[in-house]
Amino acid sequence: MANRKKVVFMQLSSCWGCHQSLLDLHEKLLDVIPLLDIQYWVAAVDFKLDHLEKLPNGSIDAAFIEGLCRTEEDVHLLKLCREKAKALVSLGTCSTYGGAPSIANLYPKRELLERKYLKAETAANRNTIPSENVPEIADYVPQNNQIVKFDAYLPGCPPTSGEIANAVLALLSGKPIEHSNKTICDECKRKKEEKNIKVFKRDFEGRPDTEKCLLDQGYLCMGPGTRAGCGAQCPAANNPCQGCSGPPEGVTDQGARLVGAFGGIADMESPKMLKSFPDPAGQLYKFTYASSPLSKLRRVKKNEK
Amino acid sequence: MHKENTEKSEGFEPYVLGLVCNWCTYAGADMAGTSRIQYPPNLRLVRVMCTSRLDPGYVIKGLELGADGVLISGCHPGDCHYVNGNYKTERRMQLLRKLVEQAGLEPQRVRLEWISASEGSKLADVMKDYVSVLKKIGPNPLASVKGKQNIDTKDLFTKEVK
Repeated sequence: MANRKKVVFMQLSSCWGCHQSLLDLHEKLLDVIPLLDIQYWVAAVDFKLDHLEKLPNGSIDAAFIEGLCRTEEDVHLLKLCREKAKALVSLGTCSTYGGAPSIANLYPKRELLERKYLKAETAANRNTIPSENVPEIADYVPQNNQIVKFDAYLPGCPPTSGEIANAVLALLSGKPIEHSNKTICDECKRKKEEKNIKVFKRDFEGRPDTEKCLLDQGYLCMGPGTRAGCGAQCPAANNPCQGCSGPPEGVTDQGARLVGAFGGIADMESPKMLKSFPDPAGQLYKFTYASSPLSKLRRVKKNEK
Repeated sequence: MHKENTEKSEGFEPYVLGLVCNWCTYAGADMAGTSRIQYPPNLRLVRVMCTSRLDPGYVIKGLELGADGVLISGCHPGDCHYVNGNYKTERRMQLLRKLVEQAGLEPQRVRLEWISASEGSKLADVMKDYVSVLKKIGPNPLASVKGKQNIDTKDLFTKEVK
């Protein structure tokens, strides 16, 4: 088939989840795969990296990037994909906003390495930080679009199989990926009332009612500051939204938006409210810290606390 | 105009962004002016109808763009023109201060005050105090990466950590 599009699925530091979500299409994959001429996909196809390196620049139609740049290797792969591909697509929240691993920007690199290799309770050999035959670890986690320019993005941790299939099909036919400026609350089918929350609860406290809005019940649901698109899967499963898709279109800072949302609907004194936020950056920027302006502090301070 | 010479704390003049409400603090600042009360000229005011209109993102954006301190000031509790806007602001800004502190910025860079329309002298006192506090803690570290959205990858791997 001559009109098959050449694509690359690239994995940087990440968990494979976004690629797994694509593979979870099962038999629907049969609609997608025949349209693709896969040039590189570690998860599914046996091509080596030098195959990709030898291709002429700009010869790939689209490269899908999963994961973030935590090591020198990741930066190399990202830049390589940018050179080879006409369109670079950010697949998943790690690639788009830094994802959960970017919470690491709250700590200096030295502290992270010591915690992982010298102080970890489960480590058998607690005396060395590996330095040979491993790629150098970056001083801080950047957002991928601060390193190369992206042409399209699809956040979600992971994006649902349907979202990925729609995005791939849209791109193959030359259309842009559509993004919603609505939030999870717009998609959520729970019954919502006027919000005057007397007490905030963490996920593990009590058992939530299955019909009423989780926020009305006091559960810290990130719905008000999170992009619609997944179909409010977590609230539908009686679990508060974790905020994995990042902020809705037009909002750049998810954490700040959530501070505004929770501060506005709480009906309690601020010291009481602060007790419900023992780790505000971890709770409010759980998936988007690299995209926050505050994350730039690590860029300036590097090794300071 | 933003001062460019914020490199050293010596001779450092903090840039204070003031986000104030129309009904109390903005009128209070007017009062300070018409009463000829002297106070440090470091404050740049932005008037909003109510402090609860402020997205906490504006405060973070101000800090990102290099403001050394952000002063949010509205009506006293109970006096809000819109009944309860300032209570919401109070909760938001307290949470924001905790967030900013966790991220590694001094929480004093976000300051919340209640200044009524008749308290021009309080505005002057607050500004005198705030400028001296900011002079002590020094320039905002984020000012050095202001406008630098793209990262040079050399900056990612300094290899000095051992």
